[in-house]
Amino acid sequence: MTIKKIQGCIGCGTCIETCPTDVIRKDPKTKKAFIAYPADCQICHLCRMYCPVDAITISPEKSIPVVVSWG
Amino acid sequence: MTTSQNTKDMSRRKFMTLAGGAAGLAAMAAMGLSPKYGDCSPNIPEIDINKMTYTENEADVLVIGGGMAGLFAAVKAYDAGSKVILVSKGRLGSSGQTPFAKGIFSFDPSSAKMSLDEFVDTVSRSALGTNNPVYTRQMAEHSLARVNELKEWGFFNSPLYNKSFNNPIKERNIPVKERIVITHLIKEKGQIVGAAGFNLDVEKILFFKAKSVILCTGAGGFKPNGFPICDLTHDGTVMAYNIGAKVTGKEWNDGHPGRAKNAAACFDGWGNMFEQKPNVTGVEVHHDLGVDLNYKAYMSGNSVAGGPPGSGNSVAGGPPGSGNTVQGGPYRPAEFAENNYRNSEEKPCAGIPPGGGDPLKEGGAPGPGMGRTPVGGSSAGMSIHKSEGLVPINDKCESTIPGLYAAGDALGSYMAGAIYTQIGSSLAGSAVQGAVAGKAASEYCQGLEMPNISNAKMNKVKEEILAPLKREAGYSPAWVTQTLQGIMIPNFIIYIKKERLLKAALAYVEELRDHHMPMLKAADLHELRLVFETANMIISAEMKLKASLLRKESRCSHYRLDYPEMDTKNWNAWINIFKGDDGSMKFEKQPFESWESYVRKV
Repeated sequence: MTIKKIQGCIGCGTCIETCPTDVIRKDPKTKKAFIAYPADCQICHLCRMYCPVDAITISPEKSIPVVVSWG
Repeated sequence: MTTSQNTKDMSRRKFMTLAGGAAGLAAMAAMGLSPKYGDCSPNIPEIDINKMTYTENEADVLVIGGGMAGLFAAVKAYDAGSKVILVSKGRLGSSGQTPFAKGIFSFDPSSAKMSLDEFVDTVSRSALGTNNPVYTRQMAEHSLARVNELKEWGFFNSPLYNKSFNNPIKERNIPVKERIVITHLIKEKGQIVGAAGFNLDVEKILFFKAKSVILCTGAGGFKPNGFPICDLTHDGTVMAYNIGAKVTGKEWNDGHPGRAKNAAACFDGWGNMFEQKPNVTGVEVHHDLGVDLNYKAYMSGNSVAGGPPGSGNSVAGGPPGSGNTVQGGPYRPAEFAENNYRNSEEKPCAGIPPGGGDPLKEGGAPGPGMGRTPVGGSSAGMSIHKSEGLVPINDKCESTIPGLYAAGDALGSYMAGAIYTQIGSSLAGSAVQGAVAGKAASEYCQGLEMPNISNAKMNKVKEEILAPLKREAGYSPAWVTQTLQGIMIPNFIIYIKKERLLKAALAYVEELRDHHMPMLKAADLHELRLVFETANMIISAEMKLKASLLRKESRCSHYRLDYPEMDTKNWNAWINIFKGDDGSMKFEKQPFESWESYVRKV
């Protein structure tokens, strides 16, 4: 699951800048942060720790994609 | 490009959806594939390449990387009178390993329990000769001054470093460009003239002209599970290698274990350490292996219990309750057998965190794997801090390319040697080397004219950056990375090494290098970043395997099952790697004691 949900986002963009692996982006319509690339989350919690309004919930689980012959 | 009904003005994305997509569907039908397996569609960029803009920036000193080394490099280059720009793939103080390093070493002559000479000698004995004593001494000698500056900036007041890192940067008005992925170092007439890369958020390619460049790009791994280095992919090392710099240290292995349960969760594996404020550590020299755990697991299978302290060169362990002792394994000098928390029964499998701080001494937080079933290699693909990266030609962090400097984990300074020796010295070393490189780069710039980057070179770089976005078919970087991980991470490849398997892995990696790397595709700027990261990891994997094959002995964090003994006759030497005139990867042995004379020769 990695980053599970972002609830109560005020759209400050801090988590987007903070994420070392570029997992979070801003939705151009809602102007709020959303989980754009969950597969690249390293579950380091920096986004949660920097979030000024505690909007981010993170789960320690991560599933590995199934192996395919090309992709 | 604005929306238009006119086919001629149609955006590439729209055009591909209609034309390419239709062609793709036809091709898929011919192959008997159904389009509902949606991944078999042509690469349709979600950004508009035609909107791409280009900017040129100028600085005396360009600092690449926003961690501990980058901070000090920028500040000291500025203070020495240079115009500085700092550029980072992430954000100042919150990317790379710096945000997770919680211990910083300080050698305080007034309270240290040994003299500076004794400290350097003790580290050298633990490192079995693999350290460069010039850099070991420099780290210790300058550490107190750097720690005191960090105190002034408020570094020790918060577990989060962005604010304290920004204090000296804002005070000096140093421009910081974040979320810029540098993809190319640029050299003209044998000298560094700048770098280029792209913005992660908008369609923009940036060129940086600079008289001098300092790589503070950290080291890297294979985006492993349970260790916070998934944004570190040896970018600096490989970019420098590509323009002719010598690099070193690829055969060594950081041996941090992770946890079997929720193995990808860096935060959970490290207890509450990431939420702690940083601390200062004093003199305490170890010989922290890590690879011994991989050896135990390899010989007896998981799970692995911690061995008793003082077990010397025999590694105790085996399946729980078996009472078996696994014989052989990595050598540990008797002098450093005691007092090793990695192998202590009360503190099983605790690792040292990035930066080398001791979590047990800094608030009692557990290291990765502690108290749970440990698995080896959470940091797979990374060498020992400061022991891989650009070869320095002097004590000023200068590389073999004039004007190109590196500091911290991007510099193969062998400050600690090929094993973890002094706790907290990794973070201290980044601060010290950043400062040294900043001042030296600034001095190098004195009297130099701003160099020029030719149009031909700029066009070539642009083409190379855009190529994965233009590719209509190819391989996704995520899939290639996953394949690379499957080849490189298992313990019988880079931890418990032997010729046959190293060669087998190399055959796979060469396939990825020759066939898949040129066909990596990207649909957006996030994926474009992954393309460059994946390519860098492939080159680093080739270096790791070839250097490991070459070093026919075992020492420190490099363990060969087929050459388990240390060979001081043939291997009191580092392995340097460089690109030959024919483009192939070349290797040279550099005897430990030859550094000073080697330096003069280069």
